[in-house]
Amino acid sequence: MTLEIIIAGRGGQGILLTGYLLGKALVKKGYYVVNSEMYSAETRGGFSRSDLIVFPSEAEMDIIKVRKADIAIFMYRDQMISYADYVKPDAQLVILDSTFIDKPAKPWPKVLMVPFTRLAEEKVGTYRVANVFMIGVFSYVTGLIDPDTMKEIIKTSVRPKWVELNLKAFDAGYEYAKENLERLEIKL
Amino acid sequence: MARREFLTGNEAMAEAAIAAGLKVFIGYPITPASDLFEYLAEKLPEHGGIVFQGEDEIASINALVGAVYAGAKAMTATSGPGFSLMAESLGLAAMVEAPIVIVYNMRTGPSTGIATGTGQGDVMQSRWASHGHYMDVVYAPWSVQEAYNLVIKAFDTAWRLRVPTIVLGDTILAHTRELVVAYEPGEVKVADRKPPREPPGQFKPFKPDPDDLVPPMAFYGEGYAVLVESLAHDERGYYTTNPKVYEALVRRLEEKVMKNKHLVAQSDSRMAEDAETLIVAFGTLARSALALVKDLRKQGKKVGLWRPVSIWPLDEEGLVKAAEKASRVIVAEMNLGQLYREVARILAPLGKKVELVPVLSPELPGPDELLDYFEKAGVRI
Repeated sequence: MTLEIIIAGRGGQGILLTGYLLGKALVKKGYYVVNSEMYSAETRGGFSRSDLIVFPSEAEMDIIKVRKADIAIFMYRDQMISYADYVKPDAQLVILDSTFIDKPAKPWPKVLMVPFTRLAEEKVGTYRVANVFMIGVFSYVTGLIDPDTMKEIIKTSVRPKWVELNLKAFDAGYEYAKENLERLEIKL
Repeated sequence: MARREFLTGNEAMAEAAIAAGLKVFIGYPITPASDLFEYLAEKLPEHGGIVFQGEDEIASINALVGAVYAGAKAMTATSGPGFSLMAESLGLAAMVEAPIVIVYNMRTGPSTGIATGTGQGDVMQSRWASHGHYMDVVYAPWSVQEAYNLVIKAFDTAWRLRVPTIVLGDTILAHTRELVVAYEPGEVKVADRKPPREPPGQFKPFKPDPDDLVPPMAFYGEGYAVLVESLAHDERGYYTTNPKVYEALVRRLEEKVMKNKHLVAQSDSRMAEDAETLIVAFGTLARSALALVKDLRKQGKKVGLWRPVSIWPLDEEGLVKAAEKASRVIVAEMNLGQLYREVARILAPLGKKVELVPVLSPELPGPDELLDYFEKAGVRI
């Protein structure tokens, strides 16, 4: 089955890096992954969107951009509203950063609201790693990504001086999810 | 050993060039090809190669012709406005049979158009940009993996046939990231020049072999008198106005590719065997077209896709075969009908109805938006 994932937020929230890290982890798992990006000209404050389409094999590969997402990750309210129509009404999972989003834009059946940005600040010491904290949560909740694989990818994808901080953020997110959230059966 | 990478189209094409033995990259930055240039600037020196920024695209392509005559596998990367500047020396490369490789990422034109928008308006420009009758080879990948494979193929074609070879991508392909199975240099097989068989005094630099019409190639500095003559020339490389020599030369420049077409022409058919309607599309738009074909199949409609992998030359026999059962053929492309004219020409003797769905947008339409363009063009399936 093809799995479509849309990730969106404001420029500066690490949306594109999130798409890259998740995509690379899924490639390592053996899937054929397509990752396309869209962003506004501003480096901070504009919109930022990363689409991931996960195909079981290359033979099944077709589209480049998300048509209707099975999983949506919105890190900011404005982009949730902009891209709500790109999410399936019966989406398997919608993840929202409740630091910036008070309620879901649509009555999606499975919504996870976590204050990623606030928790990253509290538990890791900086809101800048909210995206990797979210990846930790995602990894536990969906079971799609093996935590050790993700940590290896972080080590080779992030600038050396930020590696420790990001690993800390990933672990903090994963632990938070383990203590507070339920595991889901994500179909792929 | 094969590696599984997660690369953008530009990164993949740069990696493919390194695997194919690239030693010289010369270019001038332009969206959406600059990041390929930057990637190689960092990586190619690690593999013993040189990356050089020319003062413009004209200087870059001329230096590329020099580089291949010095014996190096050489490449540049550009987009429409840069390629327009390279046009004159594309003809030079064809005339002196210089095996250069050009990555040509299309964006929105004409002129500087929408610099960050994607496009497919350069089908004809990739083939006919330079003056006079000449030949080049153009491949058009639809995925990052295929872009990787076709850059390697482009080096093989360029060196096997001594013909300038282009990989025609676009903005979307350049920046989309996908799984790529990549190889190390030496793990992929790429043709080399045929070295001279005669001693220096007897070697003629433009004397073709009768079987493949390709002349063996001597490099500078090997002791041969290598004349690189852009004017009409005889087998020795001497300028001539002799009509017979001229005709033989220009005919051979085309025939050496057409005679070896089986090595070059490629296409891809999906669900075409029983298709009553055949959609033709290439490059990244063909990805949306394939998804649309799958949608229509689910509705019980007998639709198929034919996709040229090489655009120049086209796999004409492949197209005729794919269109065999179809009562109509629809060409969808991101221009006002360039590939369409070729398809209509090829299928005219079969009496097929060929329709055009033009897509003029700086963004790649998904399958749903592509269907809207079908409706807009009055083409119903």
